[in-house]
Amino acid sequence: MFGPFRLTNPLSGGLLWKIPWRLSRHQKYRHRERLRKVDGIVATLDAALARHGQTMRKVERWKEEMPTEAEMLPKDKYTVFDRKVKRYRKGIHKVPKWTRVSQRLNPPGF
Amino acid sequence: MTWFRITLTRSGIGMPAKVQGVLKALGLRKRMTTVYQPVTPSVAGQIMRIKELVDVKEVDQPLTKEQIRAARKPDPGYYVERRNAGNRARMYE
Repeated sequence: MFGPFRLTNPLSGGLLWKIPWRLSRHQKYRHRERLRKVDGIVATLDAALARHGQTMRKVERWKEEMPTEAEMLPKDKYTVFDRKVKRYRKGIHKVPKWTRVSQRLNPPGF
Repeated sequence: MTWFRITLTRSGIGMPAKVQGVLKALGLRKRMTTVYQPVTPSVAGQIMRIKELVDVKEVDQPLTKEQIRAARKPDPGYYVERRNAGNRARMYE
């Protein structure tokens, strides 16, 4: 009844490995923390380089183009554009390796 | 001259080859390894590539591997009052 080979619906054949369609509020919270952490790292890099009187193109571009966690809309924080999904949006937790990649911008109008 | 203290907090397993290559180049072999790199645009660019996986702080002095180990060592809970126990034993003879 217990153990790694117990008979459950996902194991007894067929493709049944469900990811809930929306994030739980704790997932959302941890996701916001991760976004803020990345913002902090970019700020650290920028401050450190500025102290040496240097700049870096990638950091400048990130600051210019990417919204910070506070500036992002909830829609962009928790969902991403997907052309195959009805109404063109799916939860960000369906993105492969979503806790280790940055996905902040979406096509304008979607 | 300041330094970046870079700690790998998330594993690079399953990430693209370029990301894993940057981890290797910075000397981050497994999770929770800490390396010190000088503050230069090239190092900043490398950190930008792995910014989701690491923790970065700017520090004045890099610590050596021995210093990091010593900082992690817990307090033993005792201190040695006097060494040379052999001499003391001879005293009672």
